[in-house]
Amino acid sequence: MPDFKSPIAHGPVSAPDGVVRVEDETATAKIVVRAGSDSSAAADLSVPFGQSRLRADGTLVCGTRPDEWTLFAAVDRAAEVAASVDTEGFVSVVDITHGRAMMRVSGPKATAVLAKVCNIDLADDMTPDGAVFSGSVANVTCDLLRSDRAGDPSYLISCERSFGNYLFAALVDASTEFGAGLPAGLSIH
Amino acid sequence: MIVVNCPNCGPRNSSDLRPCGELTPRPDPSTASLSEWRTYLYLRENPAGWVTETWYCRNGCRRYFTIQRNTATNEIRDSEAP
Ligand SMILES: [Zn+2]
Repeated sequence: MPDFKSPIAHGPVSAPDGVVRVEDETATAKIVVRAGSDSSAAADLSVPFGQSRLRADGTLVCGTRPDEWTLFAAVDRAAEVAASVDTEGFVSVVDITHGRAMMRVSGPKATAVLAKVCNIDLADDMTPDGAVFSGSVANVTCDLLRSDRAGDPSYLISCERSFGNYLFAALVDASTEFGAGLPAGLSIH
Repeated sequence: MIVVNCPNCGPRNSSDLRPCGELTPRPDPSTASLSEWRTYLYLRENPAGWVTETWYCRNGCRRYFTIQRNTATNEIRDSEAP
């Protein structure tokens, strides 16, 4: 395996009072599974489109699109997680660990920050904890997962690797209204 | 803003989708005349009123689907897939 290298060149950025935090989580194994609805892979994964579930082995299974799942796990487990999928039938399994950037926006103001750059309805009844959805974030096509932490909203956002540094900067920029400071060298303007 | 109802993702801003134009029946390429094929490729009805259109859910589920849209008012209603 090649050494893991994130496209995001900055560590976590937080508002001083902790109302919002933006951090790089690119170092996560990401496996995309496409499987026909009559395959045993689809039956095993079973999470419906738009929802997510933490599997007993610690793998987070997200129903990213109809007949498509994204599996998240610790970065050194990519091969193991990919191998856990039954490829019998109309099934494809692709390791996109190195191809996608991923970051987390969390804290009491996380929803307010995301709402500034994303046109998805982030109300609790539309995108509750565990919801999986795709949309534009700061004009970048992203896959999103709401995974709340300690009672505060938290969003995992992944995009094409080459947009990672820009998207991170855009999210930090959106957080400055709530007290986060833009680190030197990080600018979208 | 035009709100388009994706059958998978729900109501979305049309900027999240790509309009693919009027739904036009595709003739059988092995039997179609040149004129029928040209009509299929290039000619559209373009009415001021209800039209059945294909849209692509570019930022969401990446599926094609069909809606009916009133080109005069931008009112949108669901359509059965062809
Ligand atoms: Zn959709």
